[in-house]
Amino acid sequence: MGSLAFESQTLSSETMAIDREEDIVHVRKRARMLAQARGFDAFACAALTTAASELARNVWVHGGGGQATLEELSDGNRFGIRMVFRDQGPGIADLERALQGGYSTARSLGLGLSGTRRLVEDFAIDTRPGEGTRVTITKWTRF
Amino acid sequence: MSRKGPIPILRVGNVLLTTIHIDLQDTIAAAFQEDVLTEIEKTGAHGIVVDISGLDEVDTHVARILAETGAMARLMGTRAVLVGMRPEVAATLVRMGYAMGAIETALDVDDGLRLLGGRPKG
Amino acid sequence: MARLGFDERELQSRRAIFELHDEDLQRLTAIRAIAERHMAEVVDGFYALLLGHPGTRRFLTDDAQVARLKRTQSAYFLQLFDGRCDLPYVENRIRVGAVHERIGLAPKWYIAAYRRYLALLLERVVLDIPDRAEALAAYQSLKKIVAFDMSIAIDTYIAANLESLGRHQAAIRELSTPVIRVHERLLLLPLVGAIDSQRAQQVMEMVLVRVIEEKARAIIIDIAGVPVVDTKVADHLLKTTAAVKLIGAQTILTGISAQVARTIVQLGVDISSMHTLARLSEGIELGLELVGKRIAPKEPS
Repeated sequence: MGSLAFESQTLSSETMAIDREEDIVHVRKRARMLAQARGFDAFACAALTTAASELARNVWVHGGGGQATLEELSDGNRFGIRMVFRDQGPGIADLERALQGGYSTARSLGLGLSGTRRLVEDFAIDTRPGEGTRVTITKWTRF
Repeated sequence: MSRKGPIPILRVGNVLLTTIHIDLQDTIAAAFQEDVLTEIEKTGAHGIVVDISGLDEVDTHVARILAETGAMARLMGTRAVLVGMRPEVAATLVRMGYAMGAIETALDVDDGLRLLGGRPKG
Repeated sequence: MARLGFDERELQSRRAIFELHDEDLQRLTAIRAIAERHMAEVVDGFYALLLGHPGTRRFLTDDAQVARLKRTQSAYFLQLFDGRCDLPYVENRIRVGAVHERIGLAPKWYIAAYRRYLALLLERVVLDIPDRAEALAAYQSLKKIVAFDMSIAIDTYIAANLESLGRHQAAIRELSTPVIRVHERLLLLPLVGAIDSQRAQQVMEMVLVRVIEEKARAIIIDIAGVPVVDTKVADHLLKTTAAVKLIGAQTILTGISAQVARTIVQLGVDISSMHTLARLSEGIELGLELVGKRIAPKEPS
């Protein structure tokens, strides 16, 4: 159920550390729990948790660890889940190429970023060489 | 059987059958790959069925491990068939632009075994 | 309530909108004794009104039901003077709204009845408060909590309508993707009409779900009825084909015109692993072959 009368708001927010490989699994499982509780269907759940996996793995592999923040949103008609992934790693030198896919640092397919972007409604990235990367994604329940 | 990882590999006739039911993190994934190749070497199995119906999410990392393992098996002359992928997992991988290379697929374990000739046609 | 997005934060923000402060709740608790004394009159008066109008009378079928509703109404009445406006209170109000929506009581009746209810409260309860200034303040507080209650009931109406709209859209989605079982383990999807990316995604999901449901070996997608197949649509179709392959089945694309063939080739996609045919009849023949059957002429008698 949704309601027109509510303003868009953040219902909850939690931050998790990504310091070990197992943390990728924790972030993804938490994302799945929130998505299921908010009525995301199986396809949307898989898209969201896969996106969480990809980005958490990026933080772990390329960023040398960092944090993930998971937020539950409501815009009155739909529920949303916003995830912010932050690391203090080397940043992405050629962002444009990374977003086109096929770009790979370390041993990755380079589909992490470009693929993830296709799974969610909103995708924003802020990266600074030498300072780190911050990726924000949001997915909404279908109306 | 001298397995290194927690994922069991069974022998059904002259094909192998393995069911992945846990997260393929790096260490587990490496052990899985090694176990599969060792078993193939040991048994000379002509095919392997990899059942992933228990995975509700497959990211490109896991997909790559599965595709690689299949390619390695093929190099050793063993057909690898991936079975049981859930609809939402397939849709997600395809939307990301990942198609798992040339690995063979089947709906479920039965179809996979049949494809490899491990069971009578039906 | 969680699905309605109503949490502590929404509760506080809504109380602020209606200026429903703790002093208001205390003021209402203070007149609870007076309210209790007049409870029966208010409830009886309220149902006299509902029974007196055909628009509301039709919901009240017999005396037993009216007696039962009066008991519920009394409990509701007393809650106004409990001095509580927390999440359990809201939950209770959501339930009241949901019941009214379910029985099909239009909001106009709900609001009109509430106006009358407030009038009864003024006549019977508020005017019985000896101190005039106190009575006035109590009436203001009463109006706040009543308006607060009404806002929740209206939200519940809206939410229920949105939900039914969602159900209708799901039904339309299903109708626009009619996956037909042609034979055991062989499916057919005749696509008709324009395909945008939203519909393309629905098509992919529906196809995958149905293939699993029917344990299909192959699905024929006939695109003869799709007016324009541009590179985007072609890309969607190829993605669907790839996803069907991943779950272990095959796609046969039929109804491919010369223009579509050109588009697909221009996309630069490797279609060597795909079954593509011009006519649906050929697709059905190939599909049957894939499930181990074939169409043969009747033996001459």
